[in-house]
Amino acid sequence: MDTIYDQVKEFLDKGETVAVATIVSTKGSTPREVGAKMVVTAWGEILGTIGGGCGEADVRREAIEVIRTRKPRSVRVDLLDDISSDSPAVCGGIMNVFIDPWWKEKEGGT
Amino acid sequence: MIDLAQELIQIKREGAAAVLATITGADENGGVEPGQKCLIRDGKIKAGSIHDGALLRAILKEADTRLREERSKLVPLEIPGTKGRAEVFFEVLPSPPKLIVVGAGHIAVPLVKMAKILNYHVTVLDDRLQFANRERFPDADEILVGDMAETLKGIPITPSTYIVLITRGHQYDEPCLREIVHGSAKYIGMIGSRRRIKACFQRFRDEEKVAEEVIQRVHAPIGLDIKTETPEEIALSILAETIKVRRGGTAQSLSGR
Repeated sequence: MDTIYDQVKEFLDKGETVAVATIVSTKGSTPREVGAKMVVTAWGEILGTIGGGCGEADVRREAIEVIRTRKPRSVRVDLLDDISSDSPAVCGGIMNVFIDPWWKEKEGGT
Repeated sequence: MIDLAQELIQIKREGAAAVLATITGADENGGVEPGQKCLIRDGKIKAGSIHDGALLRAILKEADTRLREERSKLVPLEIPGTKGRAEVFFEVLPSPPKLIVVGAGHIAVPLVKMAKILNYHVTVLDDRLQFANRERFPDADEILVGDMAETLKGIPITPSTYIVLITRGHQYDEPCLREIVHGSAKYIGMIGSRRRIKACFQRFRDEEKVAEEVIQRVHAPIGLDIKTETPEEIALSILAETIKVRRGGTAQSLSGR
């Protein structure tokens, strides 16, 4: 079974920088659990999901910045805000997402 | 980072357990930065970009707890020797749970199918080749034929092993149970009527002085009470019990009804 890291490695092999976004903590009801991940490429392509909807779109936008600057950042996704919207992704919770750039030459250490 | 990615892929292939710790936030004077990582496998640092020995020791300790609970978590850690603190995300990469099905009869067939859907690594064991074979268990990862209690001796049992004793008779289940009851399996379930199980446990207490807490670990009669009638339903009730043991929970209806 392929993991998200198989996909990450493929991009790194090609010399691309990707952003790995991970839900590190949640409060209230969220679409996915702590540890859920998605990978965003420099073109904004998404692999995996952290729950879809507006929150995911916010994270994607931030992830593209992370790739550009090669600096990680933490993003708080508030799913309370758009309670009025009809999006099925509205859960009423908050999730903190860590977005980390990965590229081939970055120190990973072995 | 390519080495780290390769290492993570390798761990998954081998079915090994590991923890990837990532600094997600740190005080400025702490000497670490967000994004720094450390990969822990078998209680040792396998790879990483964190170099502070004291911090690594704190991470190793927490990683051990995370792995035991099989739960990823963001944990604030004091950076030893400084007044600083770091937020560290521990991502647990659990070893896939291993299910050993002892007895290849009519419950085992749907049980193995369902267990594969649930991503268990499945071993089927019976002493009869006409039951323990590829035709009956096309999905099983491993099919073993031999004396059941004797064969169990040779199977490595870890805290991610789940053992289901569903042989054709109590005279087979009981020696198997003797073989594994003191081991480190996460789950041991044994089929049988309450009367037979009570008698079996009494023999354990009398003859072998098996401690009560060891006996209490055995789930017998096996499965959750959902009034099962068919082999398929019994298989479901057994697997539901293994999930309950793995993840926790009450096995009550969420609606409270």
